[in-house]
Amino acid sequence: MKLTNSLLEKLDPRTKIISFLAIMLCMILTPITRMRDFGLYFLLILAIGFFSNITPRQILKKVCILIPFVLFIAMFVPFVKEGNVCWSLEITHWKLDITYEGVWTFLNIIVKSSLSIFLLVIANATTTFSDFLKGLDMLRVPRLLVMLMSFMYRYIFVLIDEARKLMRARSLRYFGSRYKEQFRAMGYMIGVLFIRTFERAERIYSAMIIRGFSGEILSVKRFRFSTMDILFMVGIIVSLVCIVSGLVNKIEHMRVSGAHLWQGL
Amino acid sequence: MARIIKVSNLNYRYPDGTTGLNDVSFEVEEGETMVILGANGTGKSTLFMNLTGILDGDGHIEVMGLLLNKINLKNIRRGMGMVFQNPDDQLFCPTVMDDVSFGPLNLGLDANQVTEASQKALALVDLQGYESRTSYHLSFGEKKRAAIATVLSMNPRILLLDEPTSGLDPRSISKFINILYTLKSQGKTLLIVTHDLFLTQEIADRVLVFSEEKRPVAIGNYKEILNNYDLLLKNNLVHQHRHRHDAVVHEHEHQHGYIHKH
Repeated sequence: MKLTNSLLEKLDPRTKIISFLAIMLCMILTPITRMRDFGLYFLLILAIGFFSNITPRQILKKVCILIPFVLFIAMFVPFVKEGNVCWSLEITHWKLDITYEGVWTFLNIIVKSSLSIFLLVIANATTTFSDFLKGLDMLRVPRLLVMLMSFMYRYIFVLIDEARKLMRARSLRYFGSRYKEQFRAMGYMIGVLFIRTFERAERIYSAMIIRGFSGEILSVKRFRFSTMDILFMVGIIVSLVCIVSGLVNKIEHMRVSGAHLWQGL
Repeated sequence: MARIIKVSNLNYRYPDGTTGLNDVSFEVEEGETMVILGANGTGKSTLFMNLTGILDGDGHIEVMGLLLNKINLKNIRRGMGMVFQNPDDQLFCPTVMDDVSFGPLNLGLDANQVTEASQKALALVDLQGYESRTSYHLSFGEKKRAAIATVLSMNPRILLLDEPTSGLDPRSISKFINILYTLKSQGKTLLIVTHDLFLTQEIADRVLVFSEEKRPVAIGNYKEILNNYDLLLKNNLVHQHRHRHDAVVHEHEHQHGYIHKH
């Protein structure tokens, strides 16, 4: 995705990492029964999305790619979880019970992960991977981990390309018989891929030490917290405190009772 | 001119027992372009690995007046840049700028100097505006040029180039040769490993020929070597070429990569 100059992109990656992590932590620790809070989190995330230049369509597209995975994992939970049966399904001698606890757990997984995915998609679209890594590095995440991620990001596609070439070379010479033999071929391929990767790693390391690498990844790009960062962070923290402490609820109750702003949620 | 590299009686054996280098001795003058010619597997790349101290062979190597050993290694690497054959090995950072600034940052320059050196290097290889590009998405020719920029940003006195033109199309090759000319005119010492005779003819001052016994068999002025067909033929750098003009079949020496007229 092409980066434009929205507020979120101008922010220091550290600001984004910290505040997004904070939101996700708060969200995950909120019990699912407080549905109204999740509505508020959703509004908060929408507000953040408003500061980026991505269209809702783009966000939704990406979210829709990821949600099926979560759905697939969570799908079976209502049937497996033990507890009070709310609905049972009988097909001849099979019996499937859906429990209240199961449904709540299902909702728990779906709601929290969808909101987190929303947030991550926004974060991903407004931060380049290298900036993200630099942010992590400056936040004192172990350098080894950061470097591992950096190399993975750089070489995963090279590796996939190599694997694809091997597969192609195999399929050009494979005519469909003796399929048991193919497992052996597959084993060889994995072996070759491993050796190539290993040797590539050696060459990369040589390339690094020739250019004076001594165990430290340095960077020209210097990030500094601007007033914008501070404002953003304060904004996030204040809204989180409001949501978590139920302050919003209280304010609402102080207003006209019976006509709650978030009644629908 | 001063002598900048001196190699004498260098031997290297790979851990599995195969000979990598067999009694290699030669000298390089400062500012000259030496092309090391040899067929595949004659130990040219192994020689580079030894010159940069990555492989540790037996023998005597002197670079910029310093004996190559553990103590001098850092200083030698400051003045000697090596460009690998496969640019994917050279470009290991997320963006081109990260890669180009990797060397100067490790040299301990401050941020402004690093940026300036990197910009200069990128301008030299005609890759301005590529700073935040991901190296994986560059074309092969661009990758090759980015790879050389990663070394140029360190402003080395000696440049080792391993097969710089392999896998490049003709336009990219001529662009690359232009870059090499610029470097040559800046007084840099270039050591180029190749079996590309076209490149040799374009850029070399002197030529060192490696035989399949993994040792140098000839050294001399580029004209002298390139005109010595027996030598080139014996060392697998040209091959007897047979072809047909209607009824007449004839055979003659033929250099790789040449389309010749009759």
